[in-house]
This record gives sequence, structure tokens and C-alpha cells, in this order.
Amino acid sequence: MKRGMLATWARTLIVQASWNYDRMVGIGVAYAMEPLLRDLPGGRTNGRYAAALKRVAGFFNAHPYLTGMAAGALARVEYDGVPEAQADRLRRALIGPLGSVGDQLVWAGWLPMSVAVGLIVAVLVSVPAGVVSLLILYNVLHLGLAAGWRAGIGVAGQLAGRVMHGGLRFSAAAAPFAIGVALPLVASWLLADFGGSERLGAGVVGLVGLLLARVLAPTLSGVRLGLLFLGTAILAAWLWR
Amino acid sequence: MTDGFWWLLLWGTIAGLDLVSAGQVMVGRPLVAGTLAGVLAGDPAAGAMVGVTLELFALELLPVGGARYPDYGPAAVAGAATAAGVPGVLGLGPAVAVALVVGYLGERTVQIVRRGNSADARRNRVGLDAGDPACLRRVHLRGMLRDAIRALLVTVFGLALAEVVRRWLPLDLRGAVLVGTVAVGAAFAVAAAGALRLVGRGGGRAWLAAGLVIGAAWVMAR
Repeated sequence: MKRGMLATWARTLIVQASWNYDRMVGIGVAYAMEPLLRDLPGGRTNGRYAAALKRVAGFFNAHPYLTGMAAGALARVEYDGVPEAQADRLRRALIGPLGSVGDQLVWAGWLPMSVAVGLIVAVLVSVPAGVVSLLILYNVLHLGLAAGWRAGIGVAGQLAGRVMHGGLRFSAAAAPFAIGVALPLVASWLLADFGGSERLGAGVVGLVGLLLARVLAPTLSGVRLGLLFLGTAILAAWLWR
Repeated sequence: MTDGFWWLLLWGTIAGLDLVSAGQVMVGRPLVAGTLAGVLAGDPAAGAMVGVTLELFALELLPVGGARYPDYGPAAVAGAATAAGVPGVLGLGPAVAVALVVGYLGERTVQIVRRGNSADARRNRVGLDAGDPACLRRVHLRGMLRDAIRALLVTVFGLALAEVVRRWLPLDLRGAVLVGTVAVGAAFAVAAAGALRLVGRGGGRAWLAAGLVIGAAWVMAR
């Protein structure tokens, strides 16, 4: 099993390539897990090899960075000879926690925090320094989580452990705090070359936009709001010539 | 043709692939994609400004599961190509407008790729349900190829749109400043709405408020 660990880690980095509405990330997780199964007694001729791939390649969903944990756990049960029905129960039981913990920890916590820190560094130091700090800060967690196959069958303990809980609590506070610090700094940086009336104008547009975004969410997404405002501004500028 | 066209095309494709299919190491974030695209287009300052502005738009995204969200990687590349060589902040407004169009197109094309992946999985149901590793590999890697083609085409469209806007968008100095002002205002509206949605009604609001106070104090102290 150890031989396949590096290959599995690399494959989890492309785990969502075949994401689809029928099986979600199932094909990707089966593809990532396959190297871990090659050392089963009898190798690929072992009936459990194909059965495990078949099981996982059906419907499966998890946060992409935690699919390594799923692959490790699901491969481990094959080596331990756990009955197939029980292995399938584990597979189904993993779907909810691996999705919700990952979404909360990464998408709603670590990612916005890393981006906000990147913006702060970009404004206070230099934009290239901001880019580098975003990439390093974010990927420390990303690549660490991707190596979650080490947990094996202990995946439940990892998800409920103090480290994961601490990470969730930290990122839930750090993300909004970092965004709060970043917004005024970025505003000051972006508007430095604008005159007083333009700064006032940007403030008014920002407030009206915020109000619209709050009232009309989720219909009026950010990109739609931007297109609406900019389309109107381009038309006004064209007529105003 | 835009300066550094082929490099921008390659970079836009990589940034588009990073959105979902390959890596997700965040090189497709607008701050990263826009900054490097500015360097490739010969105007790092313009790329940085476009990247920072688009990053505010991207702050609202929660890329969970099958959610639909704009592809800001190729968008930032197209935006940087639009703003490159335009003095000061005058290129910012048109650049953000181009980037939002490209980002929106990227969002729609991701759905096409996902439907293509679904159809591919259905066509290969027998092999997948037999646990055939070769079939599994083929279906998976075809999904990545599909997404690479998508990212390439979105970037081609973005760079073409950038060229059209640079040549033919009839904005004078006053108009360019107006559009730039609206772009920055809209970016902050989206970022603020995203931040409020992120924190919900819990203790996160207090952290956000504390951050805003410290950030504002920092600006005043500089």
C-alpha cells in the first residue's frame, strides 16, 4: 500500500477532473485510490480490487482536499478484509462529514483568509509579495490535507480531533477579521490615483451596490451586479462624449 | 495581436484548469492570474491593479460542490491584456468589464463540461461499474482534456474581446475615469456583500467589524 501513496497524493490534485452531476467526484476518488489497491494480495486479480473501484466510482462526494482521507480509509478496509457491506457503509458515512468539514474549513475559512492576507501584503509590501504569500499560506493547508490518506481507517478520529476543531474555530474567526482589515487598505490603495469626486462616487456606487446585492441575493450575483453597473457606466460614458 | 499573446493564452488555460480540474492551488485566483498576466503583457502595474480589483469580486465566491461560479482566472488574464499599456487608472474600467464578461462565460462553460462528463460516464457505465481501471483512467483524463479545451477557448475569447475593446471602445478621458470609478465601487459592493454572507449572523460579524476598525485605523495612520 505504501508504494501507491505518492501516486495517490498526486492523483488527488486532479480528483475533480471528471466531476459530473451523476457520480460527482466518485470517478476521481476511485482513480486516486487505485494505486493504493495494487498491493492487495493477488494484486489486480484480487476480487476486492475491482469491487472497491466499482463501489467508489459510483456516487461519491467529498471536499476535494479531503478525498485523500477517503481514499486512504476506503483502501485500508480492503486490506483489513472488512466485509463488503461494511466497507460500503463506511463509504456512505464519509460523504457528509468530508464534505461539510472541508467546505467550512477551506472554502469558508482558510481560502478567504489567505486571499485577504495576500491582499494586505500586496497593498502594504508589493503585489508580487502578496501573490507569494497567498499561494504559500493557502497551499500549506491544501497540500497537507491532500496527504490525508495517512489517516487510513482512523479518518473519523481525524475529523473529530482537536486539530481539526481548532482549525475550524481559528479560520472562522481569522477569515472575517483578515477581510475586515483588507477592505479599507485595498480601498485606499485602489483609489489613490482617483480625485476626491471619484472617491465619493465610488463610495456611493459601493453603497448602492451593497444594498442591491443584499436585497436581490442570490439572483443578483457579484458578476451580474458588476456587469449591470459597468454596462450602464459604459453606455453613460458613450452618450456623454 | 496583444503583446505576449501565446504566453497569455498558455497562462489563461492553466489558470482556467486550476479552477476545478487540476491543482486548485489558486494560481487561477485573480490576484495571481492578473499579476502574472500583466508581466506577460508588458505592464505589471496594470495587471496588478486589475488583479486586486477582480479579487474583490472573487471574495464573494464559495466554490462548494456543484455550485456555479465565474471563472476569474482567464478573466483576469483578459482584463490585464485590456489594461496593458493604458496610462494610470484609465484602463481599469474597460479591463474589469472585459474580465466580468469572460468570467461569466467561464461560469457557463463549466456547466457544459460537467454535462459532458456526465454523458461520458453514462456511455462508459459498463466499464465503470465493473471497476475496470483502464476505463476509469480514460473517463477521468478525458474530463481533464475537456476542461483544458474549455479554458483555452475561454481565454481565446477573452484575449479577442480585449483586443476589440482596446481598439474600438469609444471612451474619452472623462468616460474612462467614470467607468473606472464604477468598477472600483462595484468591486467593493460585491466584496462587502460576500463578507457579510460569509460571516452570517454569528460571532464572525464581530471579527469582521474588528478587522474593519483596525484596517481603517491603519489607513489613517499611514
